Amino acid sequence: MNFRKLLKRNEFYIFILVLLFSAVVTGRNPVFLSPGNLLSLLKTSSGSAILAVGVLMVLVSGGFDVSSTAIAICAQYITVTFMIAHGLDHIGVAFGIAILVGTLLGSVNAVFVAFFRLPTLIVTLGTASLFHGALLEFLGTKAVNLGELPSCFKHFGGATGSASGPLTFFAVLCAVVAVTWFILGHTLTGRGIYAIGGDIEAARNSGFRVKRIQFFLYCYVGLLAGIAGVLHLCLIRYSNPNYLVGTEMGIIAAVVLGGARITGGTGTLTGTMLGMALIVIVQKNLVLLGLSSYWEQFFIGAVLTLGVALTYGDLGSLFRRRRSGGLA
Amino acid sequence: MKDRSFKGLPLFLVMALVFGVFFLRMPGQFLSAANLESMASQLPEFGFLALAMMFAMITGGIDLSIVAVANLTGVAAAMVLTAPALSAALPLGWLIALAVAVVILLAALCGLVNGLLITRVRVPPILATLGTGWLFLGLAIIVTKGHSVSGLPEAFAYVGNGTCLGLPVSFLFFLVVAGLSALLLNRTRMGFRMYRVGGNPRVSRFAGIDNGRVILGTYMLASVLAGLASLIMISRANSMRAGYGDAYLLQAILVVVLGGVDPAGGKGRISGLLMAIVTLQASQSGLNILSFSPFFKKFIWGLALLAVMVMNHLVAKRASAHTQRKGALS
Repeated sequence: MNFRKLLKRNEFYIFILVLLFSAVVTGRNPVFLSPGNLLSLLKTSSGSAILAVGVLMVLVSGGFDVSSTAIAICAQYITVTFMIAHGLDHIGVAFGIAILVGTLLGSVNAVFVAFFRLPTLIVTLGTASLFHGALLEFLGTKAVNLGELPSCFKHFGGATGSASGPLTFFAVLCAVVAVTWFILGHTLTGRGIYAIGGDIEAARNSGFRVKRIQFFLYCYVGLLAGIAGVLHLCLIRYSNPNYLVGTEMGIIAAVVLGGARITGGTGTLTGTMLGMALIVIVQKNLVLLGLSSYWEQFFIGAVLTLGVALTYGDLGSLFRRRRSGGLA
Repeated sequence: MKDRSFKGLPLFLVMALVFGVFFLRMPGQFLSAANLESMASQLPEFGFLALAMMFAMITGGIDLSIVAVANLTGVAAAMVLTAPALSAALPLGWLIALAVAVVILLAALCGLVNGLLITRVRVPPILATLGTGWLFLGLAIIVTKGHSVSGLPEAFAYVGNGTCLGLPVSFLFFLVVAGLSALLLNRTRMGFRMYRVGGNPRVSRFAGIDNGRVILGTYMLASVLAGLASLIMISRANSMRAGYGDAYLLQAILVVVLGGVDPAGGKGRISGLLMAIVTLQASQSGLNILSFSPFFKKFIWGLALLAVMVMNHLVAKRASAHTQRKGALS
């Protein structure tokens, strides 16, 4: 790719920002670049990164998903309570149940979006509230602590401090990214997802089976949320049904930062991963820059606002005389 | 063209049903003066936020930053009201007037930022207000360093907790603003244009409407309404903390959609919104008295939102099939 093309892409600027920020942080505290710290960053952010992949796919299709964290926590808590109740203790079983639950809940989103053609933000707001409310009301609010947790969750990724642990988490993330990359870029369904995001009527007219593609999309995103739920449990070794919900806006922010457009059917996995990296690094290291933690919200907000402005604008138009014409 | 036929009947029946069920379950308690008054005093705080959301949705957009705007303006007003230098220099009446002016100006400024991002930079409203929402809330956190601002003058609590003619002052205030909003939507050129822009931006553009100006005005209005919500918040709680009321965002969207506003734009009436707000407030307070958990309410609201959307979809589908049979396109 030539340099001029590179300059036009969001990913490039986010990459520069990540490098810049890392450089400043390293200057303040060299520990940042130590393998131990980088690996632990990787481990803690793998779950969110998987959720971000799902959010990216929905955004690429012109939708807006705020239910992924609710699905993740439902899958996690249902899995762990089911396994304790039945004395099961195998990580493969855990992933299996979580994936099943995630896909099922995703299919509820899918029905509303694909068959009733309802706006995705409102559907996912509704289902997030529905799923999470049902989980807390009917399954309970009691957290599962380390002692009760089946040991497969504790063993997944090895002992704390070893390098193999973070790398196992990272391997799951890589697998998810690879499969998603293949679906988005190399299958007809993937091209369909981009086409729907570009113009749903045009996609329909050019022969894409829009309903089927949307149905697949929301089920797949639910599946990813199920995987993320199990990873999150293995990370903190404690299952609280109130966790995760409320972090969805941060994940959406990461995806939007990475250059995904809700209107144009564009957005790449590279961008999303870079956006996620930026948000995680900022969240963990703002204090090292001499800014207190209460600058975090503002900083991310500023980067996000600038990011969307660069993605969609035409920032220059703020300073020019208004063009005649145009719809908005 | 705006539909003038009465579409509020199903919603009215739902409202009557909710009141009826709770009345029958607890005849003495639910319609008691004390409960009605507590409902009326809880309602305005998020009623203003719902009004704000409604205007954004009528023009086919959405405003995810309203709660953040309410936080930022509330913090600013609380700081003005508690600043020792100001309270020493100004009589109380002037101090309160200054706080209100700060709220309205700051809110209008927030709305201007949203509006410019949407109309000039052409960022979709959902993303523009997602970003600015973080930004505004971030500002509120920075200026308060995460602490709450408390110790407001007692006279100010009258807005949130006082009564006038037997009704809570905040409720009367809300009724007046809702009435003015209805006038704006139904009787003024601006209101007419909001519906046109939301209904079909291309057509309204060709009809000579300056879409950008209408949208800019709408987001400024939405932010100012959010600012009014913050005045109620700080006077009710006698303090303000950045991050207060983040659950209101979902509730505002829920109530606006329940109230018959089309998220795609162009449709929605104040009467519908008022009925939806009253219904939500009544069910909240009824479920509270029956001591249902907050999780159950979360579950019910999610269900209600989805059910109403599906119902609207089915009704619209039938209506369009009906129109097509008659062969009428206008």
